Amino acid sequence: MFELFNDYTFRTVLMGTVGVGTVSGALGCFAYLRKQSLIGDVVAHSSLLGIMLFFLASYLITGQGSKSLFVLIPGAIVAGTTALILTRAIVGRTKLKNDAGLGVMLAIFFGTGIFLLRVVERTDPPIPGRRGLEDYLFGMAAAMTQDDLWMIGALGLASILVMLLFWKEFKVFTFDPQFSQSIGFPAKTLDTLLMIILVVGIVIGIQSVGVVLMIALLITPASAARQWTHRLSRMVILSAMLGGLCGATGSIVSALYSGIPTGPVIVLAATLIFLVSLVFAPRRGVLARWLKRKHETKQAKLERRAV
Amino acid sequence: MNEPATAIQVKGLTVAYDAKPVLWNVDLTVPRGAMMGVIGPNGAGKSTLLKTVLGIVTPIAGSVEVFGQSNRSSHSARTNIGYVPQRASVDWDFPTTVLDLVLMGTYGRLGWFRRPGAKQRQEALAALEKVEMTDFANRQIGELSGGQQQRIFLARAFVQDAPIYFLDEPFAAVDATTEKAIVGLLHELRAHGKTLVVVHHDLTTVAEYFDHVALINRVAIASGPIQDSFTPDLLEKTYGGPLRNCGIGDCSFAPVVPVTIGNHTNSTSTESPSNPEGDNV
Repeated sequence: MFELFNDYTFRTVLMGTVGVGTVSGALGCFAYLRKQSLIGDVVAHSSLLGIMLFFLASYLITGQGSKSLFVLIPGAIVAGTTALILTRAIVGRTKLKNDAGLGVMLAIFFGTGIFLLRVVERTDPPIPGRRGLEDYLFGMAAAMTQDDLWMIGALGLASILVMLLFWKEFKVFTFDPQFSQSIGFPAKTLDTLLMIILVVGIVIGIQSVGVVLMIALLITPASAARQWTHRLSRMVILSAMLGGLCGATGSIVSALYSGIPTGPVIVLAATLIFLVSLVFAPRRGVLARWLKRKHETKQAKLERRAV
Repeated sequence: MNEPATAIQVKGLTVAYDAKPVLWNVDLTVPRGAMMGVIGPNGAGKSTLLKTVLGIVTPIAGSVEVFGQSNRSSHSARTNIGYVPQRASVDWDFPTTVLDLVLMGTYGRLGWFRRPGAKQRQEALAALEKVEMTDFANRQIGELSGGQQQRIFLARAFVQDAPIYFLDEPFAAVDATTEKAIVGLLHELRAHGKTLVVVHHDLTTVAEYFDHVALINRVAIASGPIQDSFTPDLLEKTYGGPLRNCGIGDCSFAPVVPVTIGNHTNSTSTESPSNPEGDNV
């Protein structure tokens, strides 16, 4: 395993997955606190359609389908945001409820994406470059190139910088949007900005984690971190670290056992961290609350006996 | 410079959500230094009125002036009005401390990007002292009782140090001690020349707490000094039926007998059965 870390390709992959985990862990806190898990999932699933369309476009233009993240991430961003904009437009004009609208949109975009994926896989003659496209479902970190790492790094860093720059504004807007607007921070601007960095945080992970499971890397570290702290700053830092840890686990396991999709490994690591946090966290943890209730019942019984 | 005698001037204000009118052609004048109670049944548009003046909700018609300036202009509402939203409008499980929440009151004056520093912390601590919550400065906000939550919401508004204050149901589900304390603080603000607009539900305390009143039920039924506008006739018009126990005139402390007119029972109860979703519009 130590020789693994001397391997250039592996270090690229490791840096990529750790970066993806860190960014989505940090940004996921805002999705968690704004109760936007479903929105995140719609972006992740819908991005498959964008990936397929941009892959096909690159084939039509160059004669060779491209799986570079420089092509696929813009596709994912376009599809993810289109799905959200369409949902908003439909919900605003009909009686359809927001979560139903999101669910329907996810089904349409992801379904069409899967359909295109299967068609591309079966064409005769085969489309050059199509091998490995299905890895975008469950992630294959090993496919990451140096160029992909640059793309992930630049986008991830940019979205984290935006988060830090607007920290105070995002905080007050997430906690109390009406108050935030009353003191002069327009809700539309902040909502759009948060949405943009959330979309970016999601799409940079589709290669390592896959569109199906990306939502887990966004929400699970945040949910785990929330258990341990009651300050937003510490929650974001802890969630980023947990996300990075999950990413590292994913690339290590996937390098040791070839052919195992990275997504499920990352998600299993996140799940483990989440379960431990859920049970053992002080105050908010299941165990702490159970002990407290037991203590209180005992106390009440003692007092009754004393009377 | 001559300071205008009118704090807020609302003219012909019409607001609609999804093409459903919530406020219709509302005129309202809040004199400088007034402490005005905004009264009306649930779903009458009281909160919406506040939010529209604050610029949170955009009206489809009408104008709002704060100290003679349109609330569309960049500075008027955001620096002139301190706002205490309904306590239930936020998630109190948000990971933040009491001091941190109160510090948010300084964000408006700080503007974009600038972070609160030592000076702002001092202001926040002073505001916490005012509402007697100093000992709770480092507590997680989710651990507070309803009354304590209301106190720190108030402290956040104090930090805004605005000439006008809007409070949306500050007495909803708080204990009697807190209600008394809050009323005391509000009267103190008035004594310092501040203008206060308070959405209020308990008709028995209106005359005691406020000097002006606005009766709202989609339209402005009446507004003005308590003695002119807080009358049984106007209240009946506002709530759509005779009232009992409303604390004014003949009906004051009347025996509690449900009055039935037509096919519905009227009472002073603020929980209107026709509006189960509350007054969050």
